Amino acid sequence: MTMKKRSESAETYELKTWRDFPPMNISMGTMLHNMTGSWRFIKPIYEDKVPACQNACPAGNDIEGWIKLVQKGEYDKAYWHLKREQPFPAILGRICFRFCEASCNRAHLDDFVGINELERFVGDRVELSTPHPDVPEYNGKKLAVIGSGPAGMSAAYYGRLLGFRVTMFEMLPEMGGILRVGIPAYRLPREVVAEEFKGLKNMGIELMPNTSVGKDITLNELRDDYDYIFLATGVHESAKLDLKGEDESDLIMSGLGMLKKVALGEDVDLGKRVAVIGGGNTAIDAARTSVRLGSKVIVIYRRSETEMPAHPAEVEEAREEGVEFRFLAAPENIEINNDGNIERLVCCKMELGPPDESGRRRPVKKEGALFEVETDSILTAIGEIPAFDYLKGIVKTENRVVEVNEGMQVKTADEGGAKIFAGGDIIDMPHTVVHAVAAGKKASIVMDCDRKGTDFSEVFKKIAIGDGRALSFSKYMGWAPVNPVSQNNEKVVDSEKIVYDYFIKASQVDKKVVNADARRGSFDAYGKTFDEDQAQKEAARCMHCGRCTECDNCLIFCPDVSVLVRGEGQFGYAIDYDYCKGCGICFTECPRNAITMIAEEISIQVDDLQ
Amino acid sequence: MQKTFDIPRELMTGEDLAQPGMLSCQGCGASLAMKLALKGLGERTVIAVPACCWTIIIGVYPYSTLKVPVVHVLFETAAVSASGIRAGLDMRGEEDVVVMAWAGDGGTFDIGIQSLSGVAERNDDILYVCYDNEAYMNTGIQRSGATPMGAWTTTTPSGAVKQEKKKDIEKIMLAHEIPYVATASVAYPDDMIKKFKKARTIKGTKFIHLLSPCPPGWRIDPAMSIKITRMATQAKVFPIYEVENGKYKINVYPEKKIPLKEYFKTQGRFRQMSEDLVKAAQERADRSWESLIRMDGEA
Amino acid sequence: MKQVIKGNFAVAQGVRLCRVGVISAYPITPQTTIVEELSEICARGELDAKFIKVESEHSAMAAMVGSSTAGVRSFTATSSQGLLLMHEVLHWAAGARLPIVLSNVNRAVGPGWNIWADQTDSVSQRDTGWVQIYCESNQEVLDSVIMSYKLAEKILLPVMLTYDAFFLSHTSEIVDIPDIEDVDEFLPPYRPEFRLDVDNPRTFGGMIGPDCYYEERYVMHKDSLKVLEHYSDVCSEFHDKFGREYDIAEEYRTDDAELIIVTAGTITSVTRIVVDKLREQGKSVGMMKLRMFRPVPVERWLKVLGTVPKVVVVDRNISAGLGGVFANEVQAVLYNSETRPVIYPVVVGLGGRDVTPDDVEGIINYALENDKPKDVPLFWGLKQ
Repeated sequence: MTMKKRSESAETYELKTWRDFPPMNISMGTMLHNMTGSWRFIKPIYEDKVPACQNACPAGNDIEGWIKLVQKGEYDKAYWHLKREQPFPAILGRICFRFCEASCNRAHLDDFVGINELERFVGDRVELSTPHPDVPEYNGKKLAVIGSGPAGMSAAYYGRLLGFRVTMFEMLPEMGGILRVGIPAYRLPREVVAEEFKGLKNMGIELMPNTSVGKDITLNELRDDYDYIFLATGVHESAKLDLKGEDESDLIMSGLGMLKKVALGEDVDLGKRVAVIGGGNTAIDAARTSVRLGSKVIVIYRRSETEMPAHPAEVEEAREEGVEFRFLAAPENIEINNDGNIERLVCCKMELGPPDESGRRRPVKKEGALFEVETDSILTAIGEIPAFDYLKGIVKTENRVVEVNEGMQVKTADEGGAKIFAGGDIIDMPHTVVHAVAAGKKASIVMDCDRKGTDFSEVFKKIAIGDGRALSFSKYMGWAPVNPVSQNNEKVVDSEKIVYDYFIKASQVDKKVVNADARRGSFDAYGKTFDEDQAQKEAARCMHCGRCTECDNCLIFCPDVSVLVRGEGQFGYAIDYDYCKGCGICFTECPRNAITMIAEEISIQVDDLQ
Repeated sequence: MQKTFDIPRELMTGEDLAQPGMLSCQGCGASLAMKLALKGLGERTVIAVPACCWTIIIGVYPYSTLKVPVVHVLFETAAVSASGIRAGLDMRGEEDVVVMAWAGDGGTFDIGIQSLSGVAERNDDILYVCYDNEAYMNTGIQRSGATPMGAWTTTTPSGAVKQEKKKDIEKIMLAHEIPYVATASVAYPDDMIKKFKKARTIKGTKFIHLLSPCPPGWRIDPAMSIKITRMATQAKVFPIYEVENGKYKINVYPEKKIPLKEYFKTQGRFRQMSEDLVKAAQERADRSWESLIRMDGEA
Repeated sequence: MKQVIKGNFAVAQGVRLCRVGVISAYPITPQTTIVEELSEICARGELDAKFIKVESEHSAMAAMVGSSTAGVRSFTATSSQGLLLMHEVLHWAAGARLPIVLSNVNRAVGPGWNIWADQTDSVSQRDTGWVQIYCESNQEVLDSVIMSYKLAEKILLPVMLTYDAFFLSHTSEIVDIPDIEDVDEFLPPYRPEFRLDVDNPRTFGGMIGPDCYYEERYVMHKDSLKVLEHYSDVCSEFHDKFGREYDIAEEYRTDDAELIIVTAGTITSVTRIVVDKLREQGKSVGMMKLRMFRPVPVERWLKVLGTVPKVVVVDRNISAGLGGVFANEVQAVLYNSETRPVIYPVVVGLGGRDVTPDDVEGIINYALENDKPKDVPLFWGLKQ
């Protein structure tokens, strides 16, 4: 605090004899000598915390930070700030599972903030190939990234920002993995993925499409050439239904396989009617893609709608496009006729039993409650499995996953060569793009720790955000936060800490989605990026949980005139501890919990009291 | 969207006529009330303070936390002493200086009501402010005419909490047909400051009734004092409105519907309130609110 | 300019001449005509003042606390119960060192209701810190208003001037009303060093602890004593200007007196006649008029009364359980004199009962005839 202490101008008057007294009782000075700060036993401090959205984001996206920059109209800054924790706003801004929105505190007032749309706005505001401002010199170590899906992209991006010389290997002719061949183009246009790769290339990352590790080059060769390897080869095929007749027809196919074919421009004929088995995002993508190919689609899911892992918004959109849903049903039997066509799909009605290990209620067959579904083809989407041939003899792959330690490192059969890490859908973690991005970030940080010889677990403690689900790259790098105030990366601001009285209800900005009829016939993206007005309106809904916005509540409400504005272009406020009585009103009335009360250090020794 | 207070930053960072070092309890509503009132009134203000918490808060001889002229006056004389000051300042040609009587609820509802009524009847040009903490707090929490029904005080102790209703002071003042009667609350500081600014410009007797929390007297955590005071308005037991030349205007329409019971639950002083009293209080609050709504906007 | 006017009108004229800025009063018999006359004077534009027509005497004095702290010359008038209702504020005004002037028309205190002359109302305000002046004529009343402001504003203490109900308040006498220009010269505008001033903001009358209150009251006491010395300056200046003077404790034919009778108020005028008569009879008796009762002019009382064998004190007031207040005060002052006089306390004329020359003569003769008082106090004229 640079300002002059008020207590220094305290005046006292000595009235030693009765002759010093004025005739009447009048004041001669202020009460500034009365330092009421000594009454305090708890004290307020300004401390930014972790908003619930950031805590929920597997990547630890500093959503509040860049929304604040958006509000100021500083879109470039917002873009680069966003990319600190989540490098691909244009991609995730379209297809993220958005754990952030699901935990947005605003939902307790009206509706969550449209974070995803805002992220897309920020991502689309800047040319994705713009040279990155923070790319450092090479650090002398080489990193091979196998697989160019989101986990690989993230590892490459952060690896490069940490100074590694990075090469990305992709077996397909197109870079992007699942982003390119899994997620349909109507959700994620091909150009966006291509542009992001231009950006990566501009950072100095070497891109190697059409290069299949295991065929074109062996893993052991890479182990010799590189210091670190990041495995991010993802999943490619759907799990089997395990039913008789499953393998007897080409019309029973993997949902993921179908999506890949469509993405690569291959012909797919599904017939008039399609049954999709499963309830995840792949199921919905397969269903909606089938709609676009001209089929009538039914999705069959063994639990009820509430247990469905697919994002509710996408289920809703699928419904709008005419997709039917049959819940609490599972395929029991497939009969294939002699032409290889599906004669009938027999399903069994299910009911929900006690919860299983995932916490969801386990579906149980209703004995004898069979029914038939007429369909020309069946798409399976009941879980995906990776292909691990290239790892044979080097890495153990049990239970369809690569086992990694806390630092994402893979145990290899032999010592020597590059240290191997893995992330994304090949390890045991939720199959979402944002989890993959988080895995890439985490692995890069561990590699950098390894390079420097530091203990990554100690580093994690310092850079973990909130509940510890995500790591802050920004904090690892020592970059300054948007608010130049002290940060507490542990405390999460949930809805109970928000003073909702200070917020006015305001509904979400309409996304202006193309109507379902038009959508059905096209693979074009159907949503439009926010214009500036829309973005500003939606950004204004952010409650900035846990982060000071200089709203002045503390300044206004302090009964003891002990909150001062720092002024002179400085951010925020200072508390005059000479007078602050520690009442805690500033803490309670901070709309967003950007103030913390801490115990006052008490200097009395027990010995003194005896 | 955030509901920030409509108070210019310059006003809050400008010179504080209320200085720190105040001898008030932690979380004192009366301290905050004075700070905000002076933000609205500015330095050309003279204050008459009768016996009340502010007698202490202001400081000990020969010091004062306030940077405006203040005269301490007798408990029951705030209004008329202010009238005397007004007459004196008028004789000095200082008509623009506003004279504020700053009294507690005891000094207003009870012992001071006679001289207040006299001042209002003569429509003397003063601003009378009652910062109401709903009991004699300075003497250590005794019941006053402003203490709500069901409240514990040291003179309405456990087992014999107050059975009588709080006086409707606004109605009493309105019966004098003075030009301005308003309620305000430290929980709504922008509204409060606006009312003080407005009162400055009106000739005649102005009466502002402020709800001012008292953590020790209400048996609440000091940190909760604003939140609970806000609840009083949200639960409609302390509606915020003004009556200018007989025209009513409700300034704060509560967005949430909060039962009075929830408000009572926040405070230790209401712990012994019976269900019957809660019901009676709710009915009274509902009735008053409905009649207020009927008056709103009517001349 | 000489006029025949009642005592209450003399007060009102005094207020006009002093250019009082704020008046606040509440009507009570027998003070009422002061309030009425001042209202008329203001309405006629003869005095530019704010007149706050309050709802009680308590408020009247409280308004004075405000106006006087604002630094404006302030006046109020009352009587009996009204003065008693003011009691709390009287203490406050004196403690706040406000030079307010109050005229009190001495009237009995109820119950039962009695509107006639009796000094119990003002003597019971003895400890409020106010200067108290007792008058015996309408001229003295008017002149005392002017002198009181001069005194009050110099010392910063309020002054209560009192005179008997009806005997003066409603009785017409010839009064020489001074020219206002002369009064202006004698009494300049009030310009206090400390007043409510937004350019020099101060807090008046704040909380004060045991470490300072004691000194503050001592300063007030010391200043109260200064009234005594300052009074003689005011008195002689007044004499120079207007040709009249009022001794702080007037002696009447006290030379070689064996007995001095002490009186206050209109009984003084009656006593003068009786003293003349008894002197003619060869009895060496004199009189001391008790004009200033607070502060007590101790030295002067000692000088006048200290060497006399007998002192009679006549009280038109009663402090039940001891007697007349003046007698007890005189007794207290004389206790340390070298030759302690014998004191004859006499209570007379309570509730406006007439005190005739015969009564006064009887009282003096009773003291002359007895070496010691038979009754302490003697209730003269009591229906036995």
